[in-house]
Amino acid sequence: MINRVLVRTYIGQAVLLWSACALALFAFAWVRVWVSSLVDMGQFRTIVEQFRDFERFSPVSFDSLFTHTGRLGMTFDEPIVILCTIIWAIARGSDVVSGELGRGTLEMLLAQPISRTRLLLSHAVVAVGGLALLVLALWAGLAVGVARTTVTETIPPPSIRIPFTALELPLTTGGPVTETFAMSSVVDPWTFGTAVFALFALGFFVLGLSTFLSSLDRYRWRTIGGVMAIYVLQLVMFGLGKATDRLDWLRGWSFFNCYRPQVQIAHVVAGGWTAPWRLTGPDPNSWFGPGVYPLILIAGGLLFYALAIAIFRRRDLPAPL
Amino acid sequence: MRTQRLGKRYGSFDALIDLTLQVERGEVFGLLGPNGAGKTTLLRTLLGFLQRTSGTAEVMGIDPAIDSVAVRRQVSYLPGDARLPRHMRGRAVLRFFAEIQPAGDLENCLAVADRLELDLRRHVGFMSTGMRQKLAIAAVVGSRAPLLILDEPTANLDPTVRARVLEMVSEAKEAGRTVIFSSHVLSEIEEVCDRVALLRGGRLAHQQSLHTLKARHRIVASWVPAAGSMQRNGAESAALDVPAALAESVVRAQVDGPRITIETAGDLAPLLPWLESLGLQQMRVEAYGLRAVYDSVHGEQVVEV
Repeated sequence: MINRVLVRTYIGQAVLLWSACALALFAFAWVRVWVSSLVDMGQFRTIVEQFRDFERFSPVSFDSLFTHTGRLGMTFDEPIVILCTIIWAIARGSDVVSGELGRGTLEMLLAQPISRTRLLLSHAVVAVGGLALLVLALWAGLAVGVARTTVTETIPPPSIRIPFTALELPLTTGGPVTETFAMSSVVDPWTFGTAVFALFALGFFVLGLSTFLSSLDRYRWRTIGGVMAIYVLQLVMFGLGKATDRLDWLRGWSFFNCYRPQVQIAHVVAGGWTAPWRLTGPDPNSWFGPGVYPLILIAGGLLFYALAIAIFRRRDLPAPL
Repeated sequence: MRTQRLGKRYGSFDALIDLTLQVERGEVFGLLGPNGAGKTTLLRTLLGFLQRTSGTAEVMGIDPAIDSVAVRRQVSYLPGDARLPRHMRGRAVLRFFAEIQPAGDLENCLAVADRLELDLRRHVGFMSTGMRQKLAIAAVVGSRAPLLILDEPTANLDPTVRARVLEMVSEAKEAGRTVIFSSHVLSEIEEVCDRVALLRGGRLAHQQSLHTLKARHRIVASWVPAAGSMQRNGAESAALDVPAALAESVVRAQVDGPRITIETAGDLAPLLPWLESLGLQQMRVEAYGLRAVYDSVHGEQVVEV
């Protein structure tokens, strides 16, 4: 179903972009673990509590964030992580047909005895494989960061609150005690596996969408423009859905609603390894279990790929401009 | 290669109309026509890049609409505007095409590149248009596929390299390969092709055997006719009486005032005594040439040869 020579060529085309994105993701994840260790949990809690009124904009409840695992889980919603994943997905997806057509190289390529399906699948192998390795690079950065980082926390001295007053009286006369421990003693990197899969699913969906639009078009810039327009529109719909209850229905029409890495991590913390993969329950307000959402993204990506193959196989290829 | 009433329509525009052609195995077949005549559309339909609207087509016995991959396994195709991956070096490009094409032959591709004096160490992105064209030619002509389809192969090449490319086409024919050669350059078609099809507006306007064409000549001279030697059909122009024995050799003999034009087909030797008897002056013999055929087709007068 794939062509070895084509796969090798596509790897050669993509290796620079992949290396840059992988390095960025790995380094960012590692640095973020380290930066997270610099902010005392007590201070973090104090800061976050100031924004309690805006908790609905957070993917998870604030209480889930007051753990080191919860704080590191925020990595998956960081703009740079999303950006690197989406850049890879759009760059590779938009390249397959409209990119080759725009450069004029598809003519020579398809003059060889390769079916269009095989060409598209060979491209997909590199794009999807690269995406998988990218999210693994992020995971590796987190794991290395967790293994190499120590946390110093201030333990507040024992105190007693006087009833009906705001007064807290320390029970000891000494200063606050600091405690240093390895991040790995409180965070298990395997907890993030489900979030890594969620990020992969998001990337796969956008990759499929880009490939689909690429198969329709002959200009790569237009394909990228189309994907970005859909992406921004979906993001706005998701944001508006969160902003007000009246527009909550919009969230259901945005693919970002299916990207829930922090919720998945919270499920692992609360219910163990299998909890985020459940297809039903436990949220009574949702039809689906947490495991359904990444699968919706994967199914959407597969559907787009199927459509792309069907269109690419049938369309007339315009001559190079 | 065979097409039967082949048609290709884009919306309301007909790019190919009822095109019936046949290319025999082992011949070099030229495709000639002005821009937009349908040459490239025909080639791209044969390769399965375009879905035909009507008619049938067959390449090496295979219908490209049914199995274009099998067709392309037998074909080495040079597009009119061959573009190659810019990030690869010349040698890597040749290796890529030699590996991906079952009939690919890297050694042969390298030999062709060497004949074209191509520097394969450069990245395609840093090559000039002519160098990229040479690289594409090396990739295509170096393949051992039995059918070569070359769409304007000599575009952007200097005269020396053009001559080498034409040599290679002749060598491909000698090796028993079939070549479909599309070009705007009449002299190139005349030099290498066995037959040529002239397309106009998506239709087949004319087919011409180059062997027959090369045996045709035009004799132009000044002449004052003797009384009774011609049949007047007008004041200025008249047909010349031709002896019955030479009727097959003389296609047309026309007198326009003091000027006579005689078009011949075949050996000139039997005509010489008759020409001498006419008492021609300032006689000039010229090969009929593809230009005359092309002009007559382009001028909407199809010549019969």
